[in-house]
Amino acid sequence: MIKQLAQRLLGPLTLVLLVLTFWLGLWVTPPDKIQGNLARLLYVHPAVAWVALYVSFGTAAVASALYLWKRTRSQVMDRIAHCAMEVSIVFIIVTLITGSIWGRPTWGVWWAWDARLTSTAILGLFELAYLALRRANDDPDLRARRSAVFAIIAAVNVPIIHFSVDWWNTLHQGATAFTENGNLLVHGIMLWTLFISLFAFTLLFFWLLRARYRLEVLRDEKYHASLDEALAQRRREGVH
Amino acid sequence: MIRIALLVAGKDLRIERRSRVLLWQVLPFGVTGLLLSGLALGPTQAGHSSAAPGLFYLVMLLVALLMINRSQVIEGSTGTKTSIATLGLDPAGVFLGKALALAVELWLTGAVLLAGSVLFLHTALSGTLSALPSVAVTLGALGAAGSLYGALSGGGQGPATLLPMLSLPAFAPLLIAGERSFSAALRHGSIWRWWVISLVALVAYLALGILLYGVLEES
Amino acid sequence: MPDADVSHHVTPVAAPPIKPRGRWRTLGVLVVLALAVLALLSQGLLRSLNYFETIDQAMSSRAKLGTQTFRLEGVVVAHTIDRTSTGASFWMSGGHHHEIFVNAHGTPPQLFQSNIPVVVEGHFTSETSDRFYGTQILVKHTASYISAHPHRVKAPNGTVR
Repeated sequence: MIKQLAQRLLGPLTLVLLVLTFWLGLWVTPPDKIQGNLARLLYVHPAVAWVALYVSFGTAAVASALYLWKRTRSQVMDRIAHCAMEVSIVFIIVTLITGSIWGRPTWGVWWAWDARLTSTAILGLFELAYLALRRANDDPDLRARRSAVFAIIAAVNVPIIHFSVDWWNTLHQGATAFTENGNLLVHGIMLWTLFISLFAFTLLFFWLLRARYRLEVLRDEKYHASLDEALAQRRREGVH
Repeated sequence: MIRIALLVAGKDLRIERRSRVLLWQVLPFGVTGLLLSGLALGPTQAGHSSAAPGLFYLVMLLVALLMINRSQVIEGSTGTKTSIATLGLDPAGVFLGKALALAVELWLTGAVLLAGSVLFLHTALSGTLSALPSVAVTLGALGAAGSLYGALSGGGQGPATLLPMLSLPAFAPLLIAGERSFSAALRHGSIWRWWVISLVALVAYLALGILLYGVLEES
Repeated sequence: MPDADVSHHVTPVAAPPIKPRGRWRTLGVLVVLALAVLALLSQGLLRSLNYFETIDQAMSSRAKLGTQTFRLEGVVVAHTIDRTSTGASFWMSGGHHHEIFVNAHGTPPQLFQSNIPVVVEGHFTSETSDRFYGTQILVKHTASYISAHPHRVKAPNGTVR
């Protein structure tokens, strides 16, 4: 009952929160003291990056690990990993695009070879390679195993991306919202809008994941139905 | 595990020695790549040799892709893979053996290409010699990573474009570490900071291979 | 050949024993991986991946840097910016009261202003000089976001004052 309600509410709630984010971000929040209106990207870029690196890639990596662990190995885990990775690619691309749009007027360049940007781009390449790996294998079990191993190797990159701004001198800014000591860096309504955007884009991910998962199930069902149909046809040919 | 590793490495190296593919196909390809790099830079820039470390590692990566693919194809085409599986050999040992064989092949090719970079790209001999420890470890790490990604890409049975796509993002840190230490050696600076990064990559890839190779080869 | 002999020949051969490879190896490998990561993090081994050198770092390795090209980071000292036809010149300060004069070519980014952290790509003008010649200025904005006009209030007619 609760599960069904949550599934029904997921889409509308995501939409409401996204509309709220854009309304707050574009009309209610003030411009920043230094960056002016450029700071409004604060309500899109960090949230999209949060989903790309931690929520979606994290889901894919955890589902892959659970697939490799024999006790939890199932087709469901493989499907979740695959679908989450596909959604993650979309978010990584949007992260890189919004980052470039923000970088040009602030830094003065579209792209810089600093540790945060480069490691994020490398993660995007890993994700594309993951999809290529899946397409290259027809055997479902072999495909699931190989892609799960690859996802876990690629996951090593995520802590590197996260800590890159602390480990090295980077052009990219440090941690958003709070300092290491827990002091606030974003103030007032700007902070609340940032939090709402993080929540909205996280819900968007789960909504997209659910839709993509259902599509995958339907695709599998259609494949098996057409296979059964083909077999039945051959049998009928044999009878006649 | 070590005994199995040495057996598998010996087998792979014997196949390479008998087939002479490394000698007559891969090495000439590498030397041609280096020569073309020099031509692309032109006589003025090629003479300055500042681009030589990067070009050396770029050519080594292309050569490594050929070798990794070959190292996996010889398993599949001759039925060796099936034989190894039915013998019940420790997959970690098989991985270490394949990584060792690949590393030996890369070291041999690397030695020839280093001589080529002295000849064609005018890198200083003393600097090139002092870069040897770093080159050895970086190519060893390339061998370990290559064996893991070779198995991931389907053991030579997958499409040809899959291996570069899977492995090149992972090779990027090795390319950076190798190039920086080689450049430092040519400037008579310390190579050890980057050498340690290559060494850690080598250890990490060996550990991942020991842990995960069995899952990939599971039938 | 009698049937009994044939049955003797087809007796299946026992598979070679496979040693159980269990948790200890996995644990050992994970420890090795953790040590590898720790080795990377210790002693600032990865410092070479820095996108720039701070003024303090540059001054402490001044002799080594010579006139080689690198990126230098510091804060633009207030009221020192002089915009020229080819770029801008200004003083840049570091954490330990080091100040470096920068003469940069190229159009600075739109956020370039006093008291903002910048990264300048270029080189020292000579082996001993502390003057820096820049070929590109990049602005490194902080993660701090503060309202531009925090004391503005909304009047009853809806206008902001």
